[in-house]
Amino acid sequence: MNKIFIIVAVACTIVSCKKDFIELSPSDEIPVTNYYKTEAQFRMALTATYQPLRDLENNDFYTAEMRTDNTNYQYYAINRGTAYTMREDIANYMDDPSNNYSNNIYFACFSGISRANILLDRIDGGTLSDAAKNDIVGQTKFLRAFYYFKLVRYFGAVPLFIHEVTNAEQAFLPRSSADSIYALIIDDAKDAIAKMGNPVFTSGKQSGQASKGSATMLLSEVYITQKKYPEAEALLNTLSTMGYDLLAKYSDVFSTVNKNSKESIFEVQYLEGLQGGQQSQFIYYFLPRSTNTTVITGVKTDNSGIGGWNTPTQDIINAYEAGDTRKDASIAVAEGTYNSSNIFTFSANKSIIGYTPAAGKVGVPYIKKYLNPHTNPGNTNDDWPIYRYADALLLLAEAKNEQGKGAEALIPLNRVRARAFGDATHNITVTDPNSLRDIIAHERRVELAFENHRWHDLVRTGKAIEVMTAYGIKAKQQYSYLSPASFNITPSRLLYPIPQSERDLNIDLSQNDGYPQ
Amino acid sequence: MMKNRYKVVKGHRMPLVQRQIVIWLLPLFLVLLPALSLQAQEKKTGVKGLVENEKGEALEGVTVDMKNEATGTKRSTVTGKDGVFTFDSPASKGAYIFTFSHVGYTLQTIRKENLDPQKEEALYVVLKDNSSLQEVVVSYGKQRRQEVTGSIVQQNASDVKDMPVTQFAQQLQGKIAGVQIGQNSGQPGRGMEFRIRGAASLSSDNQPLFVVDGIPITGSINNINPSEIETFTVLKDASASSLYGSRAANGVILITTKHAKTGDPKVEFSTFYGTQIIPQKGRPRVMNAREFAEFQNEYYQDRVKYEGYTGALAADYQNPERYGNGTNWFDALTRKAPIQNYDLVVSSANGKSSSTIMAGYQDQQGVIINTGTRLFSLRYNQDFNVINDKLKVGFGIAPSYRIDHNNRISTEGVNNLMEKIVEASPLVAPVDSNGNMPLYVQSPGMVQNINPYAQFILTKDDYKTTRILGNIYANYEVLKGLQIKTNIAVDKGAETHQKFSPGAIASNGLATGSSGSVDNYSWTAEAMLNYTKTFFHDHHIEALAGYSAQQFKQESNSISGTNFPSDDVQWLSSATSITAGSSNTTAYSLLSAIGRLNYNFRGTYLLSAAIRRDGSSRFGVNKRYGNFPSVSAGWIISNERFMDRFPVVNFLKLRGSYGLTGNNNIGNYTSLSHVTYNNYVFNATLVSGATITTLQNADLAWERNKQWDLGLDLSLFNNRVSFTYDFYHKISDGLIQDRPIPRSSGFSSVTSNVGVLEFWGNEFTVSGAVLTGKLKWNSSFNISFDRNIIRTLLAPGFIRRNNTITSDYYRNQVGHALGEFYGFVFDGLYKDAQDLANSPQYGSASNVGTIKMKDVNGDKTINESDRTFIGNPNPEFLFGFSNDFAWQNFDLSISIAGSYGGKILNPSKWAYLTNLDGARNLLAAVKDRWRSPDDPGSGIYPRTLSGTTAIGRSVNSQWVEDGSYLSVKNITLGYTLPLKGNLALKNLRVYGSVQHALILTKYSGINPEISLNGLNGTGIGIDENAYPVPRVFAIGLNASFK
Repeated sequence: MNKIFIIVAVACTIVSCKKDFIELSPSDEIPVTNYYKTEAQFRMALTATYQPLRDLENNDFYTAEMRTDNTNYQYYAINRGTAYTMREDIANYMDDPSNNYSNNIYFACFSGISRANILLDRIDGGTLSDAAKNDIVGQTKFLRAFYYFKLVRYFGAVPLFIHEVTNAEQAFLPRSSADSIYALIIDDAKDAIAKMGNPVFTSGKQSGQASKGSATMLLSEVYITQKKYPEAEALLNTLSTMGYDLLAKYSDVFSTVNKNSKESIFEVQYLEGLQGGQQSQFIYYFLPRSTNTTVITGVKTDNSGIGGWNTPTQDIINAYEAGDTRKDASIAVAEGTYNSSNIFTFSANKSIIGYTPAAGKVGVPYIKKYLNPHTNPGNTNDDWPIYRYADALLLLAEAKNEQGKGAEALIPLNRVRARAFGDATHNITVTDPNSLRDIIAHERRVELAFENHRWHDLVRTGKAIEVMTAYGIKAKQQYSYLSPASFNITPSRLLYPIPQSERDLNIDLSQNDGYPQ
Repeated sequence: MMKNRYKVVKGHRMPLVQRQIVIWLLPLFLVLLPALSLQAQEKKTGVKGLVENEKGEALEGVTVDMKNEATGTKRSTVTGKDGVFTFDSPASKGAYIFTFSHVGYTLQTIRKENLDPQKEEALYVVLKDNSSLQEVVVSYGKQRRQEVTGSIVQQNASDVKDMPVTQFAQQLQGKIAGVQIGQNSGQPGRGMEFRIRGAASLSSDNQPLFVVDGIPITGSINNINPSEIETFTVLKDASASSLYGSRAANGVILITTKHAKTGDPKVEFSTFYGTQIIPQKGRPRVMNAREFAEFQNEYYQDRVKYEGYTGALAADYQNPERYGNGTNWFDALTRKAPIQNYDLVVSSANGKSSSTIMAGYQDQQGVIINTGTRLFSLRYNQDFNVINDKLKVGFGIAPSYRIDHNNRISTEGVNNLMEKIVEASPLVAPVDSNGNMPLYVQSPGMVQNINPYAQFILTKDDYKTTRILGNIYANYEVLKGLQIKTNIAVDKGAETHQKFSPGAIASNGLATGSSGSVDNYSWTAEAMLNYTKTFFHDHHIEALAGYSAQQFKQESNSISGTNFPSDDVQWLSSATSITAGSSNTTAYSLLSAIGRLNYNFRGTYLLSAAIRRDGSSRFGVNKRYGNFPSVSAGWIISNERFMDRFPVVNFLKLRGSYGLTGNNNIGNYTSLSHVTYNNYVFNATLVSGATITTLQNADLAWERNKQWDLGLDLSLFNNRVSFTYDFYHKISDGLIQDRPIPRSSGFSSVTSNVGVLEFWGNEFTVSGAVLTGKLKWNSSFNISFDRNIIRTLLAPGFIRRNNTITSDYYRNQVGHALGEFYGFVFDGLYKDAQDLANSPQYGSASNVGTIKMKDVNGDKTINESDRTFIGNPNPEFLFGFSNDFAWQNFDLSISIAGSYGGKILNPSKWAYLTNLDGARNLLAAVKDRWRSPDDPGSGIYPRTLSGTTAIGRSVNSQWVEDGSYLSVKNITLGYTLPLKGNLALKNLRVYGSVQHALILTKYSGINPEISLNGLNGTGIGIDENAYPVPRVFAIGLNASFK
C-alpha cells in the first residue's frame, strides 16, 4: 500500500511541480529567443538574406530573357501541362496573374526583403561592434534595394515592407507607388555605399558578398533607369577606383575557374557537390529535353523533365557581328534528332560559328555560358552573374552619351568591344548620340546576353514594344504552334501582373492595367 | 429472527437456479411462504421481504413500492443494510403491485393477488442484471449502461470477429451510427480512416483519440491485432468524451483488450486463409495495343488535316491491325494475393489472479506485385486481487513487429506508380523477349514512363516497425467506496527504413539508397481518486478526481546516398557518395486535471458533470491552458409508475448533454517562430545561414467544440427490440488553420484560429431479435444524417486547396459544406463554327470540337473566374445493416455499410486517362471523341487539336460522379462441428467469409470509399489513383481446447 502512495506521490510530483513540463521548444532548431544577439548570428541572418537570390535566378531567365528576342523555348507538343504552358506564356505575352514563374519572382524578392527586414529591425539589440554592424547593415540594405529594384521594374507599384512582420495583420499592405519604392531603393543603396568597404580581392578573387562596388553599381543602374545620367555617371566613375577590371578574354568571364573575379561586381553563388544542396544546374534547364545529356555535359542524366528552356533565338545569333568572340563564348549547338515524344537525342556538340546541321540532324542552339566541366549530373558549379564591370562600362557609356558626351562615351564602350574582338579594329567611332544610343544598346545585348538584362534594358529604353512586336511577327511566321493571340504587346505588358493568389488574400491589392481585374 | 426465517426460505431455494426461474417460481414461493413460516411467529400483520442480487448479497437502499391495484394508494419504503424491508399493516385485502428498483438493477414488478393484509406476507426478491445493465467502459472507468447519460456505443469484438481482415477498423465499418469508417486505400495493413459525427477541422486531422487499456495511442493504430480486443467503446458526445479534453473533439474510441474471466482455463485458436482479388468492376478500361495504335493513327490524321502537320506517323503505330491486346499494365502489375492470420489465446483466472496471453501472426500480401505486410503480435495481460480483494494490481504488455515490403513506396497520387501503371503504353511489354525489363515503357509521342513493373520488382523498400504498448496499474480501496487508482502507460515505437533503388530504374542510371529510423516514446501517468456513496437510500453519487501527465518524444534520422558500384550490395556502406543526412527530434507534453461527479436519484434521475483542464505544450504561450467542462442529465422514464400502463416498454431513457472538447492535433511547436537554416556560399565554401521562416502566434488557442446532444434509448417487448436515437449539434470555433497571408510579408501562412464550423446530425439505431425460434435472426440497422456548414472564415471567406486550376479540387467557403468541389462547369463541346462564334471562349484555346465550359459569371469569356462549386462530397446519410442468423449448428452473418448522396471527384480518370495529346494511354471510351462536325463522337471527349486540350484537365463538373454505394462488407457462413466425446477439443467451428462481397454503386472506379486525405473534412471523395481495395475470399477456423 505504501508503494501506491509513493506512485501517487511521484505522479503528482511529476505533474504538478513542474510548470515547465509543458514549456517545450524544438531542440533541433536554433531557439529564436537566443538568436539575433551576436555578430556570428547576424552574419548567419545575413547569409540567409542572400539565399532567395537563388529562387530569383531560377525564374528570372524566363521573365528577363525568354520574354525577349534573346531566347525562346523548345516546344513540348505532347505535354501541355501548366508547368510548360505557363513558361511559354511568358515568352508569348499570354501570361496571366496565375503564372507561377512571374509569381515566383515576386515571392523570392519579398522573401529576401522579409529576411532583410528581420535583420535590420533586430540588429540594434545585438552585441556587435560598429564595424561589423556597418558591414552587415550595408550588405543587407544592398540586398533589400536589389530585391525591390527587381520588383519595381517587373511589377511597378508593390507593397512596401520596411519592417519585420510579426503578426498576420501586418501582412496585408496595399501597393505603394513606384516612386516610393524607388525612394527606398535609393536610400538603401546610398546607405549601403556609405557603410560598406571596397571589394576585397584575395588572390584576385572576392568572397561573393556584396561590397561598396555592388551597391554603387545597383544605384547607378537605378539612376540610369530614372534617366538621372549625371548622378549615374558620377557613381560609375567611382567603380574604376575599387579594383575592378575586365578579364582578358570574354570566355574567361564564365569559366567556373574565374568566379568572383575582378570583373565581377556581384554574382549569385553556387557550389557543386552531392552534399549541401548548394549546386546550380542551369545548363540542364537550357539544353533540349533529353534522356541522356552526356554528349554535352560529359555526365549522363535525364533532363527531359526540366530542360528545353531559354534557347537562343536566331535573332540573337544574327545579332553578333562577324569576328565577335562573344558569339562562340555564349552560344553553342547541340546536334541530334528529336523523336516523336519531343525528346532529343544528342549526337554532337558543335560550335555556333558557321554551323550547318549534319544530314538528318537538327541543331538546337543552347547557352554555353553556363556549361563548365562538372562531376555529377545535374550538379554544376556555375554562378549567375548579376553585375559585371563590362556592364558598368556600358552603363557609363550610356550615361555619358545621354548627356551628349558621345566622344567620352566611346572610351568605355570601346574597352568592351576591344576585348570582344581581340583588337581595336572594331572600335566604334560614331559620336552622334542617337546613333550611339542604338550602338550601345546593341552592345549591351550581345555583351550581356543571357544574363537577365535584356528585358529591363528594353523596357527602360522604351524599345520593348517596338522590338518585341517585330520579333513576334517573325516568330509567328516561324512557329505554327504560336497562338494568334500571342505577341499582342500592349503597354500594359511591360509590367507583369501582381500574383492572383496575393490579390485573393488581400482585397486592397490592385492589379496592373491590362490584366484580369 | 425474521432474518433467520428468510434464510430458511432461501435455504429451500439454494442453490440458486437460473434467474429466470426465480422470477417465474416466485408466486409459488409466495404462496408457500406463509405456510412455512407463520407457525413460529407471533401474530403480527404486515408485508416483509428480502432483496438480494444474483450473487446472494443483500441489497441495501432498494426502493420498494406497494400499490393497491383497486384504490391506487401507494406506499414506499427502502431496504435496510440487511436487504430487508417491511410494510406494516396494509389496509385492505386485494391485488397489490410491488415494484423493486435499485440503481444498476432491473426494475422488478410483482403482482400479488388477494393479498390479505391481515396476514403476514413475506417476499423474497432477487434483482437481476440483464444486458441493459452491463457495465460499459467509459472515460476513466466503467458505468452501468443504464445510467450512462452521454452518447456511448459499445461494440463487442466477438460480434465482428470472423472477418478476414487485419485491421480492427475494417471490422467496425457500418456497425455504429455516426461513426464513418472509410477504407480509402487497399495498401496492406493500412488505409483505414475514422470520422465520428462528421468531425472535421481545416488543418488538423479528424482521427479520433484511441485509448487502449488506458494508453492514449500516439501515431498509427495499425499495429494492434484485432483479435486482442474485447470491446470497443465509442464516445460520441461531449459529455462522454470531455474527460479527454483537448484530444476529444474528434470523439474517442476506448479499446479494452481481453482479460481472462473466472472459470476454467481456456485455450483458443483461430485462423483464416484467404485470397484477395481486385474486383473486375471499376478497373480502368484503357485502350489495348490495337486501340491505342488506331488512336495514334487518327490523331496523326487529324494533325495532318487540321494542323498542316507534315511529319510522318511513327512506325510503331502503322498498321494497327497487327496488334492485339498488347500489355494490360493493370493486369501485369496486380495479382491474386494471399492473406492469412493465426491467433492463439490462452487464458486462466481464479479469484486471485487472472492472466491472458495472446499471440498472433498476420501475413497480407498486396494485390500489387511485390508488396505486402506481416505482423507478429503478442499481448500478456495479468491481474491480481490481493489484500482481501482491496488491492487490484496488474499489467499488460503488448509487443508487436510489423514488416512492410514495398508497401509504402509512392504508389498513390499524382505522378506516382498507380498512375504510371494505367497510362503506360500497351505496345510495350514490361519484360521484353530477352527477359530484360526496359527502362522506359512509353511509345512514340508519349511522355516518359519509367517501367512501373520494373520499379515494383526491383525496388527494395522495407519498413520494420516495433511497437510496445504497456501499462501497469494499481487500484486500492482505502475505505468502503473510496478507491485510489493509478495507471502508468507506455507507448513505445521504433521504425527502421531501408530503401534501395537500382540504377536500372533510374533515368540517370544511378542507384540510390536511403536509410532512416524513427524512435518514439510516450508515457502517461495518472492518479485518480474514486468515491461512490449512497446517501439517504435514494441518492447515489460517484465522484472522480485525478491528475494526468503525458509526454511524447520522437527522434528520427535519415541518410541517403548514391553512386553504388553495383547492385549487389544494397546498403549505404557501399555507396560512394552520401548525399544527405539529418537527425531531428520533436516532443509534446500534456498536463491535466480531471474531475467528474455522477449523481442519481433512485436510479431514475441521472446527472453528471465532468471537467478536464489541460495544459499543452502545443499552444501559444498566452493560451497554454484550456478547460473542457460538460454536463449531462438522464431520465429513465420507464422507472416511473405511469409507465406501468405501457408494459411493452421495458426501458425508456431520455438524456441530454452539453460540453466543450478540444482538438490539439496541430503538430508540435506550431505556435512558435522557427529559425531554419538557409545556407549559402561565400569563398567557395558552404556558409551556414539562418532566419525566421515561420511566423509565431502566441495567441494560438485551442480549437473548441461546443456540442450538445439529445438522446433516447428504448427497449420493447421484453427487450427484444431496442432503439436509440441521438440528435447532436456542434459548433467548432477557433478552427486552427494555416491561415494564408500575402507572401509579400515573407511568410505564406500563420497557424491561426480562423473560423467557425457548424455540425449537426441525427443518428438512429434499431436492433433486435427478429426471429427467436429454431431459426434465430438478430438484426441491427443504423443510419446517420450528418451535416456541416462553414459559418465563418477570415477574409476573403474561402480557402483554396492550391493556386492551380488543375488540382484545386475543392474550396472551403463560408456558407458551404466542407470540401465542396470547385471547378468549371462542363457544357459539352463546341458543335460547329456557329456555336463557337456564339459561345464564350477560353482564349485562343477554344475551337470547334473542343470543350466548352459554362460562362458562370456571364462576362462572355471563359477564364478562371468561371469556376464554381460543382459537387458536395458529404453524404446525405450513412447506414449500416448487420444480420446474424443461427440455425442448428449453422451461423450466418451479413454486414452491410453504405453511403448515400456524396459525390466523388475522379481526377484519376479525367486528369490522366483522357489526355488527348497522345502522351498517355487513354480510356477506351475516348475512341468515341470529336473528329469532325460530321463525326462528333459521344460529345464527351473533345478533339485532339494541339493547344486546345488542357482545359479538359482542369477540374470540371465532368469529373464529378455519384459516390453513393451499398457495400456488403462481409458475409460469413459458419458451422460448429458436433464434438461428442472428443478428448481435446471443446469447440470447433469452421467458416467461409467474403470481405467486400458486393458493392452496388454507380461510381466508375473500384472503391467508392475513396478519399484524398483519409476522411479529413477537406479532401474527402477525391480519387487520385489509390491503391485498389481487393475482395477477399477466406476460410477460417475457431477452436477451443479442453
